[in-house]
Amino acid sequence: MTNTSAISKKTSAGQPVDRETHFDVERFLVREARLLNENRPRQWLETMVAEDIHYFLPVQEIRYQKDQKPIGSSPGAAIFNDNYQMLDMRIQRLETGIAWPEDPLSHLRRFVSNIDVEWSELEDEVIAYSNLMVYRNRRQRDDAVVYGGRTDRLRQVDGQWRLAARTITIDQRVILDKNLCYFM
Amino acid sequence: MKPLDQLIREEGAIQDRSIFWNEDIYQQELEHIFARCWLFLTHESLIPNTNDYQTALMGEDSVIVARQADGGIKAFINSCTHRGNAVCFADAGNARAFSCPYHGWVFGMDGELVEVPLEETVYYGDIDRSKLGLRQVAKVESYKGFVFGTFDPDAPSLEEYLGGMAWYMDSFLDVPGGMELMGPPMKSVLDCNWKNPTENFIGDGYHVGWAHASALKVAGGPLEKVGGLGFFEMDSGLQVTVPEGHGFGVIWDAAAALHPGPVGVAYQEWLDQRSLYIREHKGEWQEKFYRGHWNASIFPNCSFLYGTNTFKVWQPRGPNNIEVWTWTLVEKEMPDELKQMLVMDNMFTFGTAGILESDDGENMEQCTQVNRGQVTRQGSIYLGMGRGKERKEPGLPGLVSDGWMSEASTRGMYRRWADLMSGDSWAALAEKAEGASK
Repeated sequence: MTNTSAISKKTSAGQPVDRETHFDVERFLVREARLLNENRPRQWLETMVAEDIHYFLPVQEIRYQKDQKPIGSSPGAAIFNDNYQMLDMRIQRLETGIAWPEDPLSHLRRFVSNIDVEWSELEDEVIAYSNLMVYRNRRQRDDAVVYGGRTDRLRQVDGQWRLAARTITIDQRVILDKNLCYFM
Repeated sequence: MKPLDQLIREEGAIQDRSIFWNEDIYQQELEHIFARCWLFLTHESLIPNTNDYQTALMGEDSVIVARQADGGIKAFINSCTHRGNAVCFADAGNARAFSCPYHGWVFGMDGELVEVPLEETVYYGDIDRSKLGLRQVAKVESYKGFVFGTFDPDAPSLEEYLGGMAWYMDSFLDVPGGMELMGPPMKSVLDCNWKNPTENFIGDGYHVGWAHASALKVAGGPLEKVGGLGFFEMDSGLQVTVPEGHGFGVIWDAAAALHPGPVGVAYQEWLDQRSLYIREHKGEWQEKFYRGHWNASIFPNCSFLYGTNTFKVWQPRGPNNIEVWTWTLVEKEMPDELKQMLVMDNMFTFGTAGILESDDGENMEQCTQVNRGQVTRQGSIYLGMGRGKERKEPGLPGLVSDGWMSEASTRGMYRRWADLMSGDSWAALAEKAEGASK
């Protein structure tokens, strides 16, 4: 990467990235979904996730539009609020061989779309917006679909992109499934 | 519906499977249990200021819980008295009134009807607004910050309803500043009967080592040794059932057991420091309970894990579906940083994506759904662990049994269930409960 491009990134925070970067990011998001669909979360974590990851899925209360101020003492709750070590523990659990709910394995199919990528204010980082649909089917006929959006911060380290932060929005107040124990 | 003495037999040790599936039984539960018992609504810390409100469920009835100008709390049914439409569609907020979106009737934060559009013309000024307020929940009371309501005007006070459970819970509710809940609640669904999770939390220590073996292995800590159920010490805790149907299991000195790493260290330091206060002001038993890890249920549908900080309500939606609402239970005077860490850990273990939550959800759903089978649901299921080993312990309310793996408190819950389903008066219920605890 040349100095020229680094300078142009800073001044162009919020602007769409160039075609080549967009292509790289889109490939990253699709590949990530494939690794997870193929039940290879360890490989996903170790090859695609940055060690300072913040993986976040906040709970969204239903409020009137004129009444968005939080009340009470609550600072907020999150379905995922993980760092790298917590993501790793989730994967370790699946690797124990005694995580009964995932044996037999669930079928998970992730669809990523509406990818929009902008330069971030930081060098070597972009913000990637995408939509996500996950279909989950378990046992005989237990199934659910979750729709959501993601705002990701991707960072280029030694020529490789890594997921540095992910904020997930699920378009359901009541999660219409028994849990969200999978990566999105 | 079979007679009650066939649905619950042998002092709660045998349940007819139809109680987890049958629609008629479910409708009777709504009438005799959910329309009569005290049900959890919210915590005072979640609606601290005048006009703060939360919506909640009491059985399948939607209610609004609102902080009044005088500091009190009222609750009323979320349904307009004109054509029945709901008047509030938010989870929570702060409002001066609720306007029905259908014809614009306006209800105050006390539930009274304060405005009717075109009252003087189309109603000719002849409408008695004082008789058309939102229907009030008969009684709303707070026990040390935890707000419950009952639709039954004849119900005993909340404190009487909690009975012996209140004495035990005081071990942690009476810390300086008390306890509070952190929200907003997570909400998810399970295709199970509401009794499956209530019984799991009230007294199923047995499943911990097996169902959660994978999570215990990863989280480590003192519970890891029961993983796989190869090992158990009968003096490691107690199980308790009180005549009012509530109950819990406690593992001594294990409050912080499911907080691995630095969070566990910080929480243990906090417990060590506060337990001195509990011993001095409450007593040695209370100190043991304060330092222990609890799995508990307040009958009928409110459960918590003290120590793991999870607090849940199982909202019934038909005989084989529930909504799961999850908050985090913390001490009010804990530093914000510690509260934040405990919130994160609770979400990580028992939130909607919690690593232990998924183990339980699967089991609860299957325990209910197998009863779809016409022949399967003719049978009964067995809850006989430690039967006859319950005993009185001087100084402790209710009946206790050794070891936190027992089914004593679950049997107590089903005895109470059968008593309530009879539709008896509260006086008769109290008499029955008294008899059962002898």
